[in-house]
Amino acid sequence: MEKSHNQPIFSVSDFIAVFNQTLEYAYPSVEIEGEVASFKVNQGKFVFFDIKDKTGSVSCFMTVWQMRVPIEDGMKIIITAIPKITQWGKFSLTIKSLRPSGEGSLKKSFELLKAKLASEGLFALERKRQLPHIPQHVAVISSTQAAGYADFIKILGDRWGGVKVDVAHVQVQGEVAPDQIIRAINYFNQQETLPEVLVIIRGGGSADDLSAFNDEPLVRAIAGSRIPTLVGVGHEIDESLADLVADVRAATPSNAAQILVPDRNEIIRSAQDRVRSLLPRIIQLIDRQKQIINDSLITMIIGIERALDDQSRRLVSLQSVLAQLDPKAVLNRGYALIRGLVKTGEIINIETNKLIIKAEVKDVINK
Amino acid sequence: MSSTNKTIQEKIAKLNESVEWFDSDEFTLEAAIDKFKIAETLANEIEQDLSSLKNEIQIVKQKFDSEK
Repeated sequence: MEKSHNQPIFSVSDFIAVFNQTLEYAYPSVEIEGEVASFKVNQGKFVFFDIKDKTGSVSCFMTVWQMRVPIEDGMKIIITAIPKITQWGKFSLTIKSLRPSGEGSLKKSFELLKAKLASEGLFALERKRQLPHIPQHVAVISSTQAAGYADFIKILGDRWGGVKVDVAHVQVQGEVAPDQIIRAINYFNQQETLPEVLVIIRGGGSADDLSAFNDEPLVRAIAGSRIPTLVGVGHEIDESLADLVADVRAATPSNAAQILVPDRNEIIRSAQDRVRSLLPRIIQLIDRQKQIINDSLITMIIGIERALDDQSRRLVSLQSVLAQLDPKAVLNRGYALIRGLVKTGEIINIETNKLIIKAEVKDVINK
Repeated sequence: MSSTNKTIQEKIAKLNESVEWFDSDEFTLEAAIDKFKIAETLANEIEQDLSSLKNEIQIVKQKFDSEK
């Protein structure tokens, strides 16, 4: 570097380098809020757009890999960037990160990414895996200081026991949250023994608070998890892309615990009810058997009575016949019974109904 | 831990079998009381086991705020 009148004479490249050093010293990183204009992607890698407001406009540059949420012209965004001049002397902001700003832009960004991921089939029902009925080992990704996490743990404990729960404490809002959650997803997916379910939970918050769960790399990490995922973010009305891509979506962290395990009180009640319902059935069956036996006995008694009646009638009939054959009855009718050898001069016995007469046979004449 | 839960699930399955037996062709009144006693014991054991179980919660030591 030469000097002229105590002023340094820079080469163009040196001037740019010194200028950028000065800029970096003064503004190592700036956050700027503005509207996107002239958005374009070159060669599928390089993103160029202007960030502007009513009176100003600045060129911006970033790579597509840094763009975690889709943007388009007209969207309001907040960028974190390093101000620079390029080797061609053009002032530009090199973006480190950006996020949509304001409800409209958040919604727009959400819809753009949702459409993009849906077209790739990331939300397709065929991709959804079932969770085990009663998991033994569960991984939870959440902030352990959040109310949603406390609700989840409480309800999990109320409903079921004996589950091994590994918890990864991460930030669940803000710019660093998606990367932390992604690292936790990777951590659990790299375990030798995989947990049976990966639960990602966060309680309610503003659209901006929940926007971490609409981060494209995070959504893809959930989609790529080897462990089936259960995601419960925000309140019932909130919908995040993390929810949509999960194998199972819970409305809230509490709902995630309800989905994850059955209610032990319900199982106990059901087991006792089922057993209690057996006793009346046994009694009813015994009563039915008793009725069948009673009916059989009655049938038998009726049969025996009928047989007895028949025999009685037969007896009476036989008695009547016998009575008629009784010799006494014949004697009563005036006949006599003669015993002895009927031969002249022999003595015979003549029996009537009242007398027994000894008589001598005077004569025997053939009829 | 998991073996305890497995036992509970086995007991629940066994209880289901016992209850289903009452609707099956194998049902006999002679065996019903014994089967009922088995089911009753299982239900009581399930209640005891489930009531005493606690979850084992462990915060992993790994930090996720930066790449390792």
